[in-house]
Amino acid sequence: MDKETWITSLVRRYERPLCSYAFSLLRNLEWARDAVQDTFLRLCGQKPEKLKDREAPWLFRVCRNRSLDILRKENPVQSMSEPQEASIASEEKSPDEQAAQGDLSRLLPRFLSKLPKNQREVIRLKFQQNLSYREIAHCTQLSESNVGFLLHTGIKTLREQMINL
Amino acid sequence: MKFERNDPKLTAYALGELPEAERTAFEKELETNPEARQAVEEIRKLAGKIKDHYAAEAQMVLTEEQHETIRQAARKNRKEKIIPFPRKPWIPIAVAASIGGILLMLSGSIVIFSTVEKREVAFCPPSPVFSRQKTDLQKPRVKMKKNAVAGSTQRIISRTQQSLPEIEVFGSAGIAQGFVAENVGSGVMLGDAEGLVANQWGPSIEDYAEIQENKFLRVADQPLSTFSIDVDTASYANVRRFLNEGRLPPKDAVRIEEMINYFDYNYAPPRGNVPFATHMELSRCPWNEEHKLVRIGLKGRVIEQAARPPLNLVFLLDVSGSMNQENKLPLVQRAMTMLAQQLDKRDHVAIVVYAGSSGLVLPPTSGANSRTIIAALKRLKAGGGTNGGQGIQLAYSTALENFNKDGVNRVILCTDGDFNIGVTQGGDLNRLIEEKAKSGIFLSVLGFGTGNTKDSTMEQLADRGNGNYAYIDTFNEARKVLVDQMSGTLVTIAKDVKIQVEFNPARVAGYRLIGYENRMLATEDFNDDKKDAGEIGAGHTVTALYEIIPAGQPVNNTPDIDDLKYQPTASDALAGNSGELLTVKLRYKEPDGDISAKLEFPLMDTARSFSETSPDFRFATAVAGFGMLLRDSDYKGTLTCEQVLEWAARSQGNDEFGYRREFIDLVRKAGTLLTPTPAQEPDVPVYEHIVYPGETIWDIARQYGCTEAEIIRLNKITDTRQIKQGTKLLVPIPE
Repeated sequence: MDKETWITSLVRRYERPLCSYAFSLLRNLEWARDAVQDTFLRLCGQKPEKLKDREAPWLFRVCRNRSLDILRKENPVQSMSEPQEASIASEEKSPDEQAAQGDLSRLLPRFLSKLPKNQREVIRLKFQQNLSYREIAHCTQLSESNVGFLLHTGIKTLREQMINL
Repeated sequence: MKFERNDPKLTAYALGELPEAERTAFEKELETNPEARQAVEEIRKLAGKIKDHYAAEAQMVLTEEQHETIRQAARKNRKEKIIPFPRKPWIPIAVAASIGGILLMLSGSIVIFSTVEKREVAFCPPSPVFSRQKTDLQKPRVKMKKNAVAGSTQRIISRTQQSLPEIEVFGSAGIAQGFVAENVGSGVMLGDAEGLVANQWGPSIEDYAEIQENKFLRVADQPLSTFSIDVDTASYANVRRFLNEGRLPPKDAVRIEEMINYFDYNYAPPRGNVPFATHMELSRCPWNEEHKLVRIGLKGRVIEQAARPPLNLVFLLDVSGSMNQENKLPLVQRAMTMLAQQLDKRDHVAIVVYAGSSGLVLPPTSGANSRTIIAALKRLKAGGGTNGGQGIQLAYSTALENFNKDGVNRVILCTDGDFNIGVTQGGDLNRLIEEKAKSGIFLSVLGFGTGNTKDSTMEQLADRGNGNYAYIDTFNEARKVLVDQMSGTLVTIAKDVKIQVEFNPARVAGYRLIGYENRMLATEDFNDDKKDAGEIGAGHTVTALYEIIPAGQPVNNTPDIDDLKYQPTASDALAGNSGELLTVKLRYKEPDGDISAKLEFPLMDTARSFSETSPDFRFATAVAGFGMLLRDSDYKGTLTCEQVLEWAARSQGNDEFGYRREFIDLVRKAGTLLTPTPAQEPDVPVYEHIVYPGETIWDIARQYGCTEAEIIRLNKITDTRQIKQGTKLLVPIPE
């Protein structure tokens, strides 16, 4: 496979997952697109052999770094580690929530959004992108056991919330 | 080991992430600990829900400019020489597909799986025929590599690292051919340069190529109308997705010809030696009484079932929650339905599904009972977690029960690769498959969906199971892999099929081709064999509709120009006129030919009311009309949703697969969206929000405590890029 084909196939394959990942970090479509474009441009400078069989973690890692760069530049106050929607987490159950008790999956987005950002991120990488613990670790530069811990904690919180309803 | 709620091992185990050594110990512990088992079960269930949630997220893509930038950068970094790119986006697919088809015809029982990302391909050869096909100079070249094979039953893995192909397809009598699939992939990929991007990468909420609707053309100026046939159907699926989500599709997502051609029409196959039959029909145009409507229908030759070995197939289908996407389970269902239609009494099919649990939904059933098979496929629904291990066991034992020693015994696994929630994980699964492969049952793994697909797992499985792995992201790809290549029955019967219609000025003042905007060809392209066009498969139908303005009426509401002094006038033409309205000319090449043949079919002008027409004509008209309504076409005339609904409802025919019924449901859904009742909204107090720089709908939804969907609905947003600084948005205020 020549290089252009290699790049084209990776763009085709990962464009959407990367966009949604970047968007989840940035919450701004333009920025997310920029981050993804930069990621692929950087891919153009890589040797296919070098990335063989680890294209996905590489792409997500670069995309993440680019996203954080953009975030720092555009939004210097906010840091990655703090939960973004802390205020929401303390809310009472809304009428909507109570009404929707029969349909737990409808509440999932709400619960997910209440999780700390780092937990949300690994959950997304795991369940949307289907990366392994190791790949997530590579992408987020956390240790594998830390990834395991974040995922476990996040999932546990979600489970408890679902049960408490 | 004591069970501990806070032990991350619980989650790691449930997600299949526990290293092998720890897993065995953990499983022992689980046996004695119901609480832990319960927790693992819950985690898996939740994992399925989370996947569903992400799967349903809006899909975002880069802009076309960004794609272009990346393409340029990719090209700059390329060392190989630049080869010319095709001008028409669909050509590379056609090339790859038609070559696949040819090979198939060559090799009878050959089973080829092309992989896009991977380099290995398995095939079983006998190949008795000689053929030679030159690829057109303008096309990206597709590399085929010849492998001499001794014997006819070995599995061969050909591996190549070769780069840009500059190639001819060749083979010779008695020599089996290896098909280097990677390079077929390359051929397809290369085409991306010009617009395959939009086609293959599929549409998204944000990006659609603008469609300039075909206008009415004056016959005096342009007596010839030329276009390429199109068998793509992606637009319909996309429109359906939007409507099922309760939204109207963006106008440019509606490609009418793809909607019309989504449906099969009951045209009689050709007699004699031509590859297709033409079926024309004419009536008054139902949305403009002054106009007429002409349908041109093509039906591909139906190929006799070649002598191929009987098939003993077990479909092993992943129906977990993550498969609940248009390009996953529904695609699996359609693909498998198409495959089932190709089978006959020699063949057997069973269906095993798996999600949280697995089961046999269809016991081994003769291919002659395709209705039963198709009905079983139709009933499938996605939901729940994934436990691939059990499913595989069941599939293999089912295949073994019905083992046919003279035939092909194969488990076809369709999944998006979310195997990581399975009890049988990693090594165990591989061992199981390896062992089963010895019994002579082969495994084909078909990966569905984009992005989420776990290649390595699926590929390993295929490798171990003496099988093959293919990645399927579009219906065409599915057709190619499953039907063209696997059963070898649905083959390409003609390629570069072009249609040119000549209108008789004595009868026709103007005409408009409905849809096919992206398929238009220049008049001179028709006779130019270097210009590529679409291909048609065995038994396929292609349908096009023209709206016709009869002679004597103004075209585009402008008065006629004066008759030219030196040109024959309409009345002159009438003198020698045979009462023909138009003549359809078709050009096509045999699948392995370079030189096109031409067919001509005249259509006599008659006066016929719409209600006298055939059900197929009315249904195609309903679909076209629906497309025009969704596009808010300038030419929709008096057309209403109710009319479309009525025509469709009365022309359902036997509708074996329920496609037409589904269409009717969609029209109903669209009906309420197209005519919003103003009384619905005012109950909610609304605030007018002015968008700040960098603010997204999500941000706004957060601020007001509503959802993104509510804002999108309330403001009828079809393109989130419309939201810029200063845009005024209505925001519902919850009490």
